[in-house]
This record gives sequence, C-alpha cells and structure tokens, in this order.
Amino acid sequence: MSSYEDIKELLVTKFEVKPELIEPGATLADLGLDSLSTAELIFDIAEKYDLDIPDNRADFTTLGEAVKMVDELRRAKVGSA
Amino acid sequence: MKRRVFVTGIGLVSPHGCEPQEVFRRLYAGESAIRKVRTGTAEYGSDVLLAPCGLSTQDVIPKSQSFVMDRVSKLAVVAAYNALNSAGLLESEGHCKKPSAAVYMGCGLGGSQSLEDAYRAYWEKRTRKPKPTSVPMIMANAPAAHISMRFRLNGPSLTYSIACASSAVAVGEAFRAIRDGYSDVAVAGGTESMINDGSISAWEMLGVLAKEHESGAHASSRPFAVDRTGFVLGEGAAVLILESEESVLARETNALAEVVGYGVSNDAHNLTQPAVDGQVLAMRAALSDASLEPLLVDYINAHATATPAGDLVEVQAIKQVFGEKPRGLAISSTKSMHGHLVGAAGALEFLISVLALAEKKIPPTAFLTDPDPQCDLDCVPCVGRSAPSLRYAMSNSFAFGGTNASLLARAV
Repeated sequence: MSSYEDIKELLVTKFEVKPELIEPGATLADLGLDSLSTAELIFDIAEKYDLDIPDNRADFTTLGEAVKMVDELRRAKVGSA
Repeated sequence: MKRRVFVTGIGLVSPHGCEPQEVFRRLYAGESAIRKVRTGTAEYGSDVLLAPCGLSTQDVIPKSQSFVMDRVSKLAVVAAYNALNSAGLLESEGHCKKPSAAVYMGCGLGGSQSLEDAYRAYWEKRTRKPKPTSVPMIMANAPAAHISMRFRLNGPSLTYSIACASSAVAVGEAFRAIRDGYSDVAVAGGTESMINDGSISAWEMLGVLAKEHESGAHASSRPFAVDRTGFVLGEGAAVLILESEESVLARETNALAEVVGYGVSNDAHNLTQPAVDGQVLAMRAALSDASLEPLLVDYINAHATATPAGDLVEVQAIKQVFGEKPRGLAISSTKSMHGHLVGAAGALEFLISVLALAEKKIPPTAFLTDPDPQCDLDCVPCVGRSAPSLRYAMSNSFAFGGTNASLLARAV
C-alpha cells in the first residue's frame, strides 16, 4: 500500500478522522489533529516503516507534505539497504 | 455557613461489575471476585491472585481520545459517566448539566501500564523513543483531567495521591468544598489499575500480598481471620456525585445518602506500619465533624486489608473510639471479596457503605470462618445481615505514608 493510503487508514481508524475530509491539501489541524495526536501519528508512521524521522523532517503542515516526507525517507532507507 | 451535602449518583467499574445494585447484591451474598490470573512475560510471568475488572468504553470514550488514555483514566471516565448518568446530570450530547462541577479524584500510581510500556521500550526495544504520549498517560492527574474534558466541567480538577487513602481523601475534600460553599456539585472518587507485572512484582517483594488459600484462590483475602496472610490487589474505579442541599432541592432529585463527616490525620510514625493513635484521631475527627456520638454509628466498612498487623491495629483503634464491646456496631471488610483497589479503595468502600444505608443491608466479611481471637468485634462473618434501623455508616481508609481518612454517611 502507498504511504498515502496507509496514513489515510491510520487517520480514519485510530484518530476517527472523517474519510471525506482527507485530501493531500488538508492540514492536520483541518483533520482535527492536535499536537499530541500529530506526535502520535508521526510515531506510528515511524514504527510502521521502521523509520527514524529527524525532528526537522517532522515539520510539515499538510497531509501531502507528510506523505512526501515519508516517501522520501522510505526511498532513502531502501537506497541505503 | 455550613451546607448539607448529599450523594445523588454513583458509578462503578469494579471487579464485581459496573451496575451498583448488582455489585452490592453479589457482595451481600458473600461472592468473591478474586481469582488467579497469569501475568507478565513467558519468562518471568507468574500466576497472581488478583481482582481485575472488565471494561467497556463503548459510547463513553471516543477512539480519538482512547490512544492518549491509560487504562486507569478509561476506568475513571466510565465510572464518572455511570455516576453522572445515575444522578440525572448528563445532557443528551453526553456533557454534564452542571458545567461548574468540580472533580476530586484519588489515584495511587497513575498510568502504571504506560510507565511500564515506556520502560519496556527503553530496555527491551533498546530505544530512547517511547510513545510521545507517555507523559500525559502516566501522570497521576490524567484521570481527573479526562473527566473534566469528557463532561466539560470547568470547576477545579484535583487529584489526591495518598496511596490507599487517595480516594477517601478525595471524597472528603469534595464534601468540605461543597459544605463550605466553594462548589455545588462534585464528581468525587478514585481509580487504580496496576495489573502489570512490574507493579505486581514490586508489591510481592513488599511482603504484603496474600498467599493462595487452601480452599481456593477466591477465598484468599481473609480480613480478621486467624489465617489471614495479606491482601489481593484489585482494579477499578468508583465515583460518587456529591451535591449541596440547595442543588438537590433545585433539581428535585433524590439522594442516596447524606455525607455528614470527614476526618483525616497522619500517624507521623512509619512509612508502612499502621498506628492506633493516628487511626483514632481520624475516626474521632469524623465523628466530631458530624457532631455525632460514637454509639450512634451502626456500621463500619473497615480498611482491614487482611495483613496480620493492619487488621489488629484497626480493631484496637475502633475499640478506643467506640468501646471495648461496642453494642450494635457491625464491622465488615468487603476487601475479602473485591480485593484492595488502593487508590480507588476508599471511594469504592464508601460507595458500598452508601448502598448499605440505602438498602438497609450490611455486607459480610467473607471467608471469616475462623476469626482471630484478637479481632473480637462483630465482624459480620460470612453472611450479610439485614439491618432495618441502619442509619449511620463509617468508611475507613488507612494509607502507606501514615494518612488515615474516615468518612461518615447518614441514611436519608
């Protein structure tokens, strides 16, 4: 599954975000995530893909930016393997 | 001006279930919820005597909050929901009709499972990265905070962490706040959940836990018995809605009992050993608070955890306050059936005392087939007792750290 689909599923099942709100341009605030939920989301993503997400990379606003960050880190991980 | 304070709602998540009348019926029948549970890892785990509770958060806790709540907070919110619901204080959207209500909660250890999870991340997964929500899940005031948020309560949200007296003090302080005019309504109670092997093994090493009784795991908590060996850890939450007389009258609601006295003291003696003098001070302070003669008290729900030393000290303290052979005074320890809920114990046992007053029935000390000759009070052995004239009940909670709390309630 793509990072976008994975994150979308996580948002719906764990954080009870309405699926119709989820689109790449939506900010996490638009989706109803506060700072604690955002930290948990990043943690869950890192666990799922076994990524080490540097603090400066976790500085995103929209869902699309988050997915882009995850994709880049996943590619870097494959590349280094 | 001192105002009268009533109990208008009760809520539970307890080893005997969530429905107070049904829980009381089972206690009155002498039914134990204690059993042996396998805990911990395959390598170091053990079969442990426990009184765990079932928990359903459906319709009470949304998923969007669940991930940031330790079990101890979930228990508290569900018990508070049940209490507010029984008091008729929930609006259709699930918030409280009295947004100025205060929250007074007791909790001994806080989010102990989350603490264990954080340590396991460090030691087992060898990472400095526990869940980012660990701190707000571990903190002892999380249960009170979640109650305030869930039911939109803007009054003070306070947590008392005083070991086994935590929630007796919480209820007592809520009583005072209402009586003295600081609040009209309070959600008061306690919660505890430390059914994880890190915590359990620490209790084991303290040497205060019961050994399995030859007649079965369920009969291992034996307060006042000659063969008592210690207590069994229980889990759950108990919440009472306390309300001023003015508020009760304005809402035209019914009360289950009136809270009339609260006494609190410290032994100033030893971290874990109880002391007669400190317990006497607390019981006398509660009686004095209620301007009540000792002989008018009909029932004491004792702290009596079934440790060899503790039960004897409480018996001696009760004798000092109520007389060597107090006539008409029944004493029972329901810990024989629900175990020791530590931070939730005081609220649970006061709630049971309130139900005893409402139903005119005294729950027994279960499994008291062979009483300790030194515990020669009327400890209501094995069989519950109908008590049509039951009017005043006291509930004792005595803590590690030396804090003693006694609560007094009157039938309405």
